[in-house]
Amino acid sequence: MRNVLTVLMVVVGFALQAISYFALAAPWVTTGVASGEPRVVGAPVLFIAGVVLVFLAAVVYELLPEKRGR
Amino acid sequence: MSANAPGTPLPQGIGRITPGWLTIVGLAAVAVALGIYAYSLEASEGLVATGLRDLGTMGGATWGLYVTFVVYFGGVAFGGVTLAALIRLLRLDELRPIGRLGQLLTVVALLLAAIAILVDLGQPLRGLVNLFLYARPQSPFFGTFTIVLSGYLFASLVYLYLDGRRDAAICARTPSRLRWLYRLWAAGYGDSPGERARHRRASFWLAVAIVPLLVVATSTLGFVFGLQAGRPGWYSAVQAPAFVTLAGVSGVGLLIVLAAVVRRVAGSEDRLGLNVFRRLGGLLLGLVLVYLFLLATELFTATYTGEVVERRLTEALLWGEFAGIFWAALAFFLLSLALLLWQALTRRWSIPLLVVAGLLVNLAAIGKRYLIVVPSQTHGQLLPYPEGSYTPALGEFAVIAGLFGLGVLLIALFMKVFPIVELPEEEVPAGA
Repeated sequence: MRNVLTVLMVVVGFALQAISYFALAAPWVTTGVASGEPRVVGAPVLFIAGVVLVFLAAVVYELLPEKRGR
Repeated sequence: MSANAPGTPLPQGIGRITPGWLTIVGLAAVAVALGIYAYSLEASEGLVATGLRDLGTMGGATWGLYVTFVVYFGGVAFGGVTLAALIRLLRLDELRPIGRLGQLLTVVALLLAAIAILVDLGQPLRGLVNLFLYARPQSPFFGTFTIVLSGYLFASLVYLYLDGRRDAAICARTPSRLRWLYRLWAAGYGDSPGERARHRRASFWLAVAIVPLLVVATSTLGFVFGLQAGRPGWYSAVQAPAFVTLAGVSGVGLLIVLAAVVRRVAGSEDRLGLNVFRRLGGLLLGLVLVYLFLLATELFTATYTGEVVERRLTEALLWGEFAGIFWAALAFFLLSLALLLWQALTRRWSIPLLVVAGLLVNLAAIGKRYLIVVPSQTHGQLLPYPEGSYTPALGEFAVIAGLFGLGVLLIALFMKVFPIVELPEEEVPAGA
């Protein structure tokens, strides 16, 4: 359970970073009004949330108790 | 883990208030108060209370002392936790006692960098809100503020927290007023072989994740300057590597100074022995050499083939308005290099000499950061504006003094609450 949750947090964290960076903030749009702001307001917050989630996985991995009997 | 008898003192003088500690805390608190007062004036009057002015038309610099110290504190932060992570990754067990010092230095320096950038904003609240809503990934600021000041700070806090659980569990065995804190921090840690193995794994992967994050984050600080094609002096391919190297120089230098202070005041002579300082000195020597090579490359390129404005800017650095700071910074670098080389060649390492070298490289780093930030704004105009000038106002110095005071205050308080040097393994029986 602990391992699954940890891996899940890492995967979701990296996915959130990739989606918020490449899709929501869209850094390759370099011309026109669209380049002025992220496509979705708050994309930087999602990116930070992704970074935080990845590192929080380490806390979950260490703090979640062992399975009973192990 | 079994409980200690009541009256057993906590390690490293935790909870013991001494006159020396009170004096340092008092002085730091005065500096913080001064900084808050200076900032309150700036907040009520606006940035006109500082020496900052618009570029070109007002002949000033919009980035001054505050941004200089954002970059400096960011650099110090890089050195601290990178070293802590490398100790874990490369199994540099000899340096393990300074791991927590490095982590703490990073957290404190990042907080100071974050405050420095907020102080630099005329409207800090607007900056805070808009940055998170509208930051553009095309800008290197995106990396600086999202990765450095958020992800980097969070990662360092996680690292500090997890690495401290074992020592918190040890401290929780002793009855004290802080026992609740240690229990909370330890979060049930019992130091069983399973928990140790799990912590080793988690720390290893954290270190694996942190090192590239830090290099990228510190490089983005360099890119903030290095990608500005219209700004002679900043636009340079070596800006990012030079930033990372100078960050390492200032971080390791300050860590040496801090370790020497802690060694004395926390009675950790046995844990922070000469071998730790010898290793740090060797590392600092290597970093200073690499940085001086990068600096020479940059200067050679600018003076040999630089454009007109680039050459004018370099002349201002070498012989003009900024020559005093430039030559002083270079002299400090060379003096510290001589001190380190002499110790390395004779194999006679001395802690006081290493501390002097650590202080010198930090003074040089502050000077160099100032020279990176300011001259290109006042003397690097491509448009036909006259040369500008920037003189920091007294209030700016007071705010910076307040930031240093806050840093000292945080570290001094931490030292009286938690072991600042990792406790040795033998204090915990395996599987206790």
